[in-house]
Amino acid sequence: MFSTMINKAEENFLSLLLMSMTLLVFAEVVLRFGFNTGVSWSQEVTLYIMAWFVLFGASYGVKVGAHIGVDSFVKLFPEKTRRLMGIFSVLIAMTYSLILMVGAWQYLATLKSISLEMDDLEVQRWMSESIVFLGFVLLMFRFIQLLIKIIKGEAEGFSHLNEAKESLELAAQIKVDMIKENRINKTDKADRELN
Amino acid sequence: MEPYIIPTLFLLLFFCMMIGVPVAISLGFSSVMTILLFSDDSLASIALKLFESVSEHYTFLAIPFFILSSAFLSTGGVARRIIDFAVDLVGHIRGGLAMAGVLACMLFAAVSGSSPATVAAIGAIVIVGMTRLGYPEKFAAGVISTAGTLGILIPPSIVMLVYAAATEVSAARMFMAGMLPGLLMGVFLMIAIYIYARIKGLPASPFPGFKKIFQSGGRALGGLMLIFIVLGAIYGGVSSPTEAAAVAAVYAFLIAIFAYRDIGPLKTVAWRNTDETVPSATLRNTLAILKAFPQSFFDKDVKKVMLEASKVSIMLLFVIANAILFAHVLTTERIPHQIAAFIIEWGLPAWGFLLVVNLLLLIAGNFMEPSAILLIMAPILFPIAIKLGIDPIHLGIIMVVNMEIGMITPPVGLNLFVISGITNKSMGWAISASLPWLLFLLLFLMLITFVPQISLFLPELFDKLKGYN
Repeated sequence: MFSTMINKAEENFLSLLLMSMTLLVFAEVVLRFGFNTGVSWSQEVTLYIMAWFVLFGASYGVKVGAHIGVDSFVKLFPEKTRRLMGIFSVLIAMTYSLILMVGAWQYLATLKSISLEMDDLEVQRWMSESIVFLGFVLLMFRFIQLLIKIIKGEAEGFSHLNEAKESLELAAQIKVDMIKENRINKTDKADRELN
Repeated sequence: MEPYIIPTLFLLLFFCMMIGVPVAISLGFSSVMTILLFSDDSLASIALKLFESVSEHYTFLAIPFFILSSAFLSTGGVARRIIDFAVDLVGHIRGGLAMAGVLACMLFAAVSGSSPATVAAIGAIVIVGMTRLGYPEKFAAGVISTAGTLGILIPPSIVMLVYAAATEVSAARMFMAGMLPGLLMGVFLMIAIYIYARIKGLPASPFPGFKKIFQSGGRALGGLMLIFIVLGAIYGGVSSPTEAAAVAAVYAFLIAIFAYRDIGPLKTVAWRNTDETVPSATLRNTLAILKAFPQSFFDKDVKKVMLEASKVSIMLLFVIANAILFAHVLTTERIPHQIAAFIIEWGLPAWGFLLVVNLLLLIAGNFMEPSAILLIMAPILFPIAIKLGIDPIHLGIIMVVNMEIGMITPPVGLNLFVISGITNKSMGWAISASLPWLLFLLLFLMLITFVPQISLFLPELFDKLKGYN
């Protein structure tokens, strides 16, 4: 219940960020060509949204298995070795996000101590850039979750994006549509023949 | 100069990837560790570098926008409209249905920018149709899996945007450079099919008449307009690829929801019901569209498309962010320059270097995703190529064609998985179906590698027209 709420919130937030990036750039184009004006803060805000989108989304990507990786080597081994490799790879990922968490904290602290502001908006940069720290905290959280899952035997390691599988879902959908349409055409024909 | 930097960086990277760490984190981890071990950079500066790489490049925004537009238009409905048009256009030639499959792949590739999606959408419809008309199924599968690789060569292509992001060459010039090779490969494929069809006596459909061609062309145009909008806006000089991509995303949303109605709140609303007069249909549609507009922001299908696009965009941008860190380590340690100096000292000519590059990329293509290979290899190869006098745009096209070949070679050939999935045949069958076409693609790669004019003709012509030269 709680986890589905978090899930929904995460997904809606990401969709909202993507939508606002797109519409901001689109609006800029319309303003420039339609009205020959522009908004000074638009570009900076769009770029910050992209940063939030990517750094917030990276942990969501770990959860849903959206990151790409190589699994042809891992597959050569028996299950027990695969799980050991999985544990080891999660530990590497945790080291990575720990290092960047510390780095980001130091970086934000510096920004705060000299109270730098954004170029076009009166916002403290340590706030608008805080996602660089938050993003790695969230990543760390997802890695710990994954580690527990592997130890419990519910997962073997990182699950990577499988583009072929997703494309096949599209193909399956098309096949279903074709069968449906054939049925409708046939009943149409039958109706006409009856009349 | 530390002698251990290069082995540390690359061994860590390959070790991480081998044991299944995601590519983005493998790149980030090996770079961060190398920096910590061998340089005086602070942790804070690494975090700054990573933040900058996702917040300072306006050009990177084109990637999520194009992914979004392709997500809206990668539907069965769009594929079917494009196939209908292609069949009407070339179906009356001998072997025409196979040619129509190639043409449909080219057109759908331009709309979707993804190879496996092209194979899935076009293949699911065309392969069945071809076998029904008496084509051998293996032939049909091979044609579609090969033509599907065009997805990353014909602009707008996401893989090209990734190359542009990794090397800072202009995405607009990359798109321009991909156009002629893409068309050429399509034409070559069709000629090969025509010869095969003559020998085997494959069927042709009757000519449907110009009226039907215009009708199906009109229906397909809604989606195909996207290509004209994007390329027209970029080459007309009115906007950057990023802006063109944002317009494309909004256009794709409008077409998919309100015109084609394959997804979204108007899915069940027809443009014209039977026995309905034109005025009443117009009124009904206007009202329906007005009502559907606010609804579409909360629609289940639209949300799904947004989320799918988000996932793929985040994945790519996160790999890019870490790859920039990796490239930063490479350049500060002057690794590509050392390799370049070594190659020049060794006396390897430019064509020999390109041959080695091709072999390297073909091998890598067997194990990794195109965008990952590009992001790892481009920062290494790019400075060397420049030293040897190879045009970076030409190098980019060579890399993309190599990635195409990687899509139909095992074990990670994405197109092979899709083909074996839609035909319900084994991977081995899919491999043997694609094998003759693999030879074809290798010949094409040689042509692209050793005749740089094919890639460079259009960008150079464009420069001349603009008066740069």
